[in-house]
Amino acid sequence: MIIANKKWASPFIIWIIIGTIIPILSIVYYGMTSKDGGVTFANLGAIFSHDNLQALELSLLLALVSTIICLLIAFPMAMILKDSKYGKQGFLIFVFILPMWMNFLLRTMAWQVLLERNGVINSILTAVGLPRQAIMNTPGAIILGMVYDFLPFMILPIYNVVSKIDKHLLEAAYDLGANKITVFTKVIIPLSVPGIVSGITMVFIPALTTFVISNMLGGGKINLIGNIIEQEFTVNSNWYLGSGLSLVMMVFIIISMLLLNKFDKTGGASLV
Amino acid sequence: MKKALSSIYIIIIMLFLYLPIFALMVLSFNEAKSMAVFTGFSLNWYVELFNSRLIMYAVVNTFTIAIISATVATIIGTAAVVGLDAMRPKTQNVILAANNIPMLNADIVTGISLMLFFLILRVPQGYMTILFAHITFSIPYVVLSVRPRMNRKTDRLFEAAMDLGASRKYAFRKVVLPELRPGILSGFLLAFTMSVDDFIITYFTKGAGINTISTIIYSQVKIGIRPSLFALSTIIFVVAFVALLIVNIKSKKQEVELVL
Amino acid sequence: MAELIRLDNISKSFGEQEVLDELSLTVYENEFVTLLGPSGCGKTTTLRIIGGFETPDKGRVYFDGQDITDLPPNQRHLNTVFQNYALFPHMNVGENIAFGLKVSGKSDQYIKDKVKYALNLVNLKGFENRQITELSGGQQQRIAMARAIVNEPRVLLLDEPLGALDLKLRQEMQYELVRLKKELGITFIYVTHDQEEALTMSDKVVVMNNGYIQQEGTPEQIYNEPENAFVADFIGDSNIVPGRMIKDKLVEIKGTEFPCIDGSAEGFEPGQPVDVVIRPEDIEIRPYGEGLFNGEIISKIFIGVHYEMLVKSEKGNFEWLLQNYDEHHVGQKIGMYVRPENIQIMKKPEFDDEKAMELDL
Repeated sequence: MIIANKKWASPFIIWIIIGTIIPILSIVYYGMTSKDGGVTFANLGAIFSHDNLQALELSLLLALVSTIICLLIAFPMAMILKDSKYGKQGFLIFVFILPMWMNFLLRTMAWQVLLERNGVINSILTAVGLPRQAIMNTPGAIILGMVYDFLPFMILPIYNVVSKIDKHLLEAAYDLGANKITVFTKVIIPLSVPGIVSGITMVFIPALTTFVISNMLGGGKINLIGNIIEQEFTVNSNWYLGSGLSLVMMVFIIISMLLLNKFDKTGGASLV
Repeated sequence: MKKALSSIYIIIIMLFLYLPIFALMVLSFNEAKSMAVFTGFSLNWYVELFNSRLIMYAVVNTFTIAIISATVATIIGTAAVVGLDAMRPKTQNVILAANNIPMLNADIVTGISLMLFFLILRVPQGYMTILFAHITFSIPYVVLSVRPRMNRKTDRLFEAAMDLGASRKYAFRKVVLPELRPGILSGFLLAFTMSVDDFIITYFTKGAGINTISTIIYSQVKIGIRPSLFALSTIIFVVAFVALLIVNIKSKKQEVELVL
Repeated sequence: MAELIRLDNISKSFGEQEVLDELSLTVYENEFVTLLGPSGCGKTTTLRIIGGFETPDKGRVYFDGQDITDLPPNQRHLNTVFQNYALFPHMNVGENIAFGLKVSGKSDQYIKDKVKYALNLVNLKGFENRQITELSGGQQQRIAMARAIVNEPRVLLLDEPLGALDLKLRQEMQYELVRLKKELGITFIYVTHDQEEALTMSDKVVVMNNGYIQQEGTPEQIYNEPENAFVADFIGDSNIVPGRMIKDKLVEIKGTEFPCIDGSAEGFEPGQPVDVVIRPEDIEIRPYGEGLFNGEIISKIFIGVHYEMLVKSEKGNFEWLLQNYDEHHVGQKIGMYVRPENIQIMKKPEFDDEKAMELDL
């Protein structure tokens, strides 16, 4: 029996059309239009200019590196959480959710305070007689910020999937003669794929598109594709070019998601 | 051995996650403006924080926007789930795919797209445009939290209520809504926290002359960090800690699904 | 008995899939009717159409002579015990049972008394303030019954109500249901895929498959005189064998001639191909050469009260299923005999669906 009329969904559908679909179409429109109103691919082609291409390459590289680091830290963490009595709904999960509830600008700022030329780390280093380190305003600082900001988003989805793996499956694998390594590579990892995929999505895309972390920890000296797009909109007011570059970035996002979905045959990567 | 290794691992990661925050908390009580040396205890930076009208307005904006946008998103999203239930599965899938766009899209793209949309319509950007943007990106989360609750079991309970003589309205109010409640609650919470936390989309849709906590932090960091921001960090951390604690305890009692 | 519910040429499809095809059924007052069939046969859909949860694409539903096809469930004088019970999880036992009474605006005192009476009736005295989650499956089942019957419906619809219970509890509840039905004096329409449940409790069994009614009758009729191969196979164990009428009251099966009691009077003409059903307990064991046909026992298992054997016949090489109280040995050669009244002759199926079904067997 139908509980209610489908009309209940109409405010939602209207909102999606006005708030999501039309705005995205307007990016497409501006991205393919020149300032005098004609159709052009120049805004898209601008990605091949030296500065833009370099920014895109650096963005891809930094996003990739921080995603891999997050994954390498998160997977063992998820496995430990799974076996820990503090895991399920407990203290440790709480520990990883809490930073996500804190404004990520403040968290990024914290690293700025730590890494600054006259910051906490350098003060400690000089106090014990070691030379100052210029970490700030390097790609390394940006990677550090990305890993710090996005790590919980990698741990939780993986933990959610890993913690739901039926213990009997592991027992069955051992019973059939598998050793620990085989169980890990042939049972645990394949079953964790949905969590890994959604973790990667939740780290890679914000890392690829960020302009905040690079601005705060790169001191305006390191330009990522996000910074360039942001500047086109807020400083140069060139919406056409900004939209064109956004379209190119969207293409990269879509490609990376399609690649990821190939791995996740269940298609059910859960955020929860 | 294995246990010791895991404990060390956990401790290292926890230090990594929390040391920077604790550094800010310590510095917020520092007498000097220094970002490195602790010269003595003081509450000066808290006084400066509460005396800053700019920051206080931003706090008010942040929370009123979060409450209003989460409420509107929860109403629209819940109604959507109820309405979707009456549609054919194929139609539902098409609509849900569209629902996923803002969640899968990068925030910068969502922000830019809304900014362009407002510019095209010549809508002056300010409080209302931020609100519109926040409702837009919150609705999908509400839909995703509530929808799993609208299942076969809920259908059967509705039928059972009708079977026992209830009118459609009564059955909806007394049986379906209570069944959806945990999803609605976690959807609201999720929408609320997403709104409070958002910077990027707010940044592109806010226009001049209005700030939320996020945007004011960003603009202050650009000018030069003042320790009053450390005070703000400390307060936000404590509030988040307490709020999460309450949600966690409640969720255990009422099986509210605690989403990110 | 007076007619209470009549389904008239009901058809129902979900998308491409046709679930019911011109189904007609009459239920009389005070009857215990069971709709029996495999999953997907249309039995639950039939029940849901009677309950008002589905609207038929074609055909009408009459209740006490009145057309109720388009009446919503809250205006029908019947109540349902749902599969998995559908108890309201946010209300306690008392509130669940009182739900229908509250909706119809009964006084508080009346509701209180009635809830108490209903709990007594289902043997759960004093359970008013329990939470649903604290109850066992069997208790939940009883509460679902109580919640339905306090509203004094004229018909109670039960959708596989015992399906989630374990075997022992299921058997107990079967007696309980029959007792309740007697006490209440109302009509029960019961849906199940369990043939034993159907045969034990019902006044009338309606065997369904592929959206058609295959046979309607008392449990004895359904068991002893199945009208087609589907019914014979679905109800109990049986040997279903193709055969051919030789002449009136004589049928040939796998090269052996069997005297039977059906013939031209039932419309079976000499030379006509037929299906024959012989229940395994109806094949009597005789010394070798002294029965109608001979065979060799090829397997034997003990299943509680009796032995079950597979016997390969010498003529026709057919494997017959036998049940016997006495033990025989694998490899033993025996003679077999079947009384004429135990040979059930059936027409070959007419519908394509049934043929398809027959191939599945």
